[in-house]
Amino acid sequence: MQKFLSKSAQETENIAYEFSGTLKGTEVIAMFGDLGAGKTAFTRGLAKGLGAGDVVSSPTFALVNEYEGKFPIYHFDMYRITSYDDLYSTGFFDYENNGIMVIEWSENVEDFLPEDLIRITLTYLSENEREIIIEGEGKYENSCC
Amino acid sequence: MKILAVDTTASPVSAALVDDGKLSGEFFLNIKTTHSQTLMPLIDTLLKTTGTDIHEIDLFAVNAGPGSFTGVRIGVSTIKGITMPLDKPCASVSTLESMAYCMPYSDGIVCAVMDARCSQVYNALFMLDGGKVDRLTEDRALSINELQKELEHYDGSIYLVGDGAELCFKEYSDILDNVILVPENIRYQHAYGTAVAAEQYQCSSAELQPLYLRLPQAERELKARLQQRKENEK
Repeated sequence: MQKFLSKSAQETENIAYEFSGTLKGTEVIAMFGDLGAGKTAFTRGLAKGLGAGDVVSSPTFALVNEYEGKFPIYHFDMYRITSYDDLYSTGFFDYENNGIMVIEWSENVEDFLPEDLIRITLTYLSENEREIIIEGEGKYENSCC
Repeated sequence: MKILAVDTTASPVSAALVDDGKLSGEFFLNIKTTHSQTLMPLIDTLLKTTGTDIHEIDLFAVNAGPGSFTGVRIGVSTIKGITMPLDKPCASVSTLESMAYCMPYSDGIVCAVMDARCSQVYNALFMLDGGKVDRLTEDRALSINELQKELEHYDGSIYLVGDGAELCFKEYSDILDNVILVPENIRYQHAYGTAVAAEQYQCSSAELQPLYLRLPQAERELKARLQQRKENEK
């Protein structure tokens, strides 16, 4: 487990940029955190770190955005997804093992996530402070971070 | 009768041409590419290499589900798109049933299982008897454990096929001594099986629809939500 204190959106991006260097290409990254906790900023840093450029936008309406970096990146937003049927019809399961899956609002689909994942919890501490916890689960328990 | 059959419902993709029961040609790939990129070249190559004009095909068969959401849609929409302008009939085949038709040479139960994630599988059971395929259950979605309880009632060989076969074999082989994991070359659905099953499931291009199965878990969620809505209305 790794714990960070971020004092700005830029710092959150930098933490994600560093973290992206540890990725192998097929990880599922489940992000948990409220509105404004820095989920999109984190994804932006991660995509930059993987060489996709400054391409990230929130897929709240598109459900999933795809970016081409060192690996394909599938950026999901589960804000409007509340059941297995919803999730199935985003094609979520068809993306597994084809690239890095980054999932915002994982709270909504927690029961359906794979056992092997990297959990990122972003917590609002104050106006300009966020706590970021990165932990591996399943086969990533010891290998990640 | 010339039948062109395709399957894109899970990670493999295949296309087969069957002419009066004879398998004229079949392509099968099981690699990490999107079926939307591979299916059309497969069909095109199959027709070219067998010297078949698409107008000669009498029936276009497709595994219409169950399976992956995107996969099912690719297969169904491709066959719909081909048959609509040609005004040719389609056949909508269950993916699970097509697997049973790939191995009716043996006797016993075919347990076709596709991984639906979250410890659930899409499944149907078939009895193989002297080259005949008899359906024992509807296509359904159930948990790996529920399926095991059901299989305990069957004697004789139970052949596990489909992309959930290995998963189930791992769970069942310690408890059930009659489950058999069939070899790789017949473990997955092949378009040949789709073609063999096709004639009994003909429909028009307009009638062809994806066949989705709802998981019991999803049913429960829906019920809970409808209940909630009712209470809110009160």
